[in-house]
Amino acid sequence: MTPKETPLGWGVKRQGRTLWTRNAVKGVSVRGERRKREGRIEWRRWDPTRSKVAASLLRTKAEPSDLLPAPGSTCLYLGASSGGTVSHIHDMVCGADNHHCGQVVAVEISPRMVRDLVSLSERRRGLVTVLGDARRPEQVAPFMRGKADWIHQDLSIADQAETFVRMTDSFLSPGGVALLSLKAASERSSDGDDESRFTKAERILEGSELNLLEKIDLSGLEEQHVVFSCVSQSSIN
Amino acid sequence: MKIHFDWRLARVVDDEGNVLDEIEWDGHMGPSIIAKRLSMIQQGRNLPEVTTLSERFPDAEVDPIGAMSDPEWPDLEGSAEMFQSATEKLAKMGVADSSGDIDRRLDMLVSSAIELRACWTTSEARCVEWAGLFITEADLDGQRLDIPKAVANASAISEAAETLGVSVPKYDPSDSEWESMRSQASFVVETSEMLEQQEGAIRDIANSHVTSLSALLGPISAAKLVVLAGGRERLARMPSGSLQVLGAHAAMSAHRRGAPPPKHGAVLFSMPQVSRSPKWVRGKIARYLAGKASIAVRVDHFGGEPWGSEEVDRINREIDSIKDKFPKPPKRG
Repeated sequence: MTPKETPLGWGVKRQGRTLWTRNAVKGVSVRGERRKREGRIEWRRWDPTRSKVAASLLRTKAEPSDLLPAPGSTCLYLGASSGGTVSHIHDMVCGADNHHCGQVVAVEISPRMVRDLVSLSERRRGLVTVLGDARRPEQVAPFMRGKADWIHQDLSIADQAETFVRMTDSFLSPGGVALLSLKAASERSSDGDDESRFTKAERILEGSELNLLEKIDLSGLEEQHVVFSCVSQSSIN
Repeated sequence: MKIHFDWRLARVVDDEGNVLDEIEWDGHMGPSIIAKRLSMIQQGRNLPEVTTLSERFPDAEVDPIGAMSDPEWPDLEGSAEMFQSATEKLAKMGVADSSGDIDRRLDMLVSSAIELRACWTTSEARCVEWAGLFITEADLDGQRLDIPKAVANASAISEAAETLGVSVPKYDPSDSEWESMRSQASFVVETSEMLEQQEGAIRDIANSHVTSLSALLGPISAAKLVVLAGGRERLARMPSGSLQVLGAHAAMSAHRRGAPPPKHGAVLFSMPQVSRSPKWVRGKIARYLAGKASIAVRVDHFGGEPWGSEEVDRINREIDSIKDKFPKPPKRG
């Protein structure tokens, strides 16, 4: 018997311990993931062991759909790598031929990764690839059509939390959702063990303009990582 | 008062959000020109419209992220498609630019040479042992360099033995066995040639890219340091204490868990001034040499007068005087 399917929003659903997004480019897998047909709709498997956003949807204690961007929104992805997760975000925000009129701006500093991202964005309208430093707002701003409703930061650098606070301060719209994937191994070793690095980041987020909603532990899916989910404080006031 | 802008429009906006002046870009719409304009903004250079507006309103502050947060800012409308292909073009241009980066090219060469050397060492040892099994009279140390060539160029094992000037083996390998042995030997010969070629290329690049550092440490070690640091700029900005332990990754993580600190990394240890010195002065010499290497790479990166043999000789004399100062091992207390 196949596990029950739960929709998490337009073009994304959960089935047991995997997730599926509605493929915006039918017949094409981005990194060899499984696809399945249901009538005129094609779904693409979103592997939670390879995507921290997918993993946090399974692990959150809150409502998973609150972590995801709405169709047609403006999204900013800092540290897009070769675009695995980005492609799934594009599936639900833009859809085929960008019929939702969304914008996903994917920022990546490594030319090797940008090479793959560009070929992805050539097939996916609404996905904008930026080769630039994700820590510098002025390198990202020219590509944004407005403030972002959804931001995910996944950078392998030290001071991830400080960068996140600075970038969301510039880019997150009122009421917007921001996710920080924190990789313990990237922080300075002088900050102590993994747990104290997470705590340090948590303190930085609590002291910022952001409202920290949850610290999502990804162990079992992605080791040494936690995802912090936040919303901009102005939405609460 | 602020100037908000994007690639197609620049506006002077006062503190209440009123538009005081605006210039719309009226150039010919095309992905290439838009990509060029986006790249200008990304590099922090002002577009002509922004320059004109800030001449008209000298008090207005140019705000590079202002347009994005401006609720009144007009939508892309018809040019969204054009904008997207411009961003693709720009990203592709950036990817193409990366082959102009000498640090990346040096990384490819040095990494390839390191992998090739690791491969060569094992294959060469196997080749010598293999030949030695049959050609029992060959001197495996004295004739080591000649053995791979002798096997590779022979048509039979006895011929290889003759080339090496020793008597023919008691047993011959079978035909297919001999073919395997011979092609393995040709692989070793070919690998040594390739290695020489690659190290030659590294020397050429290092001598011009990090001239002073190459003069001090030799071009191969200089190139390895640049690659380990992740580029010349990063090496130049690195404290000399970090440079000193480059390549001692394992020892550094052990040090973080309480072990004594490493005296030097793999690259500095490969310098005869360090590895041929008595143990008790190696740390001192490595520290001194790392300091000088750090200055050398700064000279190279920030455009100083490149070092020549005069500076290097002075440094080597200083190293000798360090050794003379500590002729005996310290007494253990």
